[in-house]
Amino acid sequence: MRSEEQIVINSHLRFLAACAMITLLAGCASPASRQELVVEETSFGTRHPYSVFVIAGGGGETDATGYTNISNEDLEGAIKESIIKSGLFSSVAKTHDADYKLSVNLVSMSKPMFGLSFTIDMEMSWSLVNTKTGAAVMRESIKSSHTTGGGEAFAAVTRIRMAVERAAEKNIRQGLQKIAGLPLN
Amino acid sequence: MIRRERTIHVVLLLSLLVLLHGCAVNKATATVDQTTDLSALKMFHVKKYSKDTRDTNVLIENKLTEMGFHISGTETEVDAIVTYVDKWWWDITMYMLELTITLRDPGSDFPLATGHSLHTSLTRKSPEGMVDEVLTNIFFSDEKRGADSDK
Repeated sequence: MRSEEQIVINSHLRFLAACAMITLLAGCASPASRQELVVEETSFGTRHPYSVFVIAGGGGETDATGYTNISNEDLEGAIKESIIKSGLFSSVAKTHDADYKLSVNLVSMSKPMFGLSFTIDMEMSWSLVNTKTGAAVMRESIKSSHTTGGGEAFAAVTRIRMAVERAAEKNIRQGLQKIAGLPLN
Repeated sequence: MIRRERTIHVVLLLSLLVLLHGCAVNKATATVDQTTDLSALKMFHVKKYSKDTRDTNVLIENKLTEMGFHISGTETEVDAIVTYVDKWWWDITMYMLELTITLRDPGSDFPLATGHSLHTSLTRKSPEGMVDEVLTNIFFSDEKRGADSDK
């Protein structure tokens, strides 16, 4: 017959093992997918007859044991692709030799750790400069948010990634809409 | 019985490996917007983060003063407002896991520059060290450019 102390120890061990299993099964964080950030908008109602050079920053790599992040390359690529798809500018330049320079920086992103639903709040700074005159025609802090519900994906890391992607896509959409409303010349 | 406990120990060991795998992560980034001239910023107001209970705002003010800048107690007539978010974690003792400092335009709230540092437990820095690293990266890092700087 086991002693009461041994029963308690075994009970604690089982609890720790359960915690360990949850940790192992929780999965690894994966980076936001560039394709999910692209704004699938056919048009913003404006076609600026100028070229634009796009540069993005503030993002980072995603560690397997860390938190979902957006890489600078993916953010930049998604903005470029969104501009091309919408036709907002006549072309997206590969070098600084363009009519306008668009700089987008990921300033902050909330990182909720626990819960069934995850809300990501995001802020990006958007600035557009006329490269010929050097004048800043747009300086905006754009905030976006998205909540992924508990039923949208089984794994928490997937729900977090989805929320990050949707919040970023909303931010890009708002940024491009602002640019569409600018009287560029 | 022995076999079951051995299995439990293996699972515990594996989970420990998973948990410890991320214990030595360092990240330090700084971004300055293309429209920002940092040399024009002389006077700052540090806005206390609503969830800060450890007076990180004082550390930022002290460091900015040490760097030769002026600190104002109000948001009026300053070149930039400094906002920050500090995140603390526990591992034997509490330590500052992450610090993000943003310099904002006083009129529009536009983020002029942002710095971020992350040090997990094994490479933890003191709060003063975190503040020093972030502000140094914003103002003096050669690697930062208009958009990014990952080190």
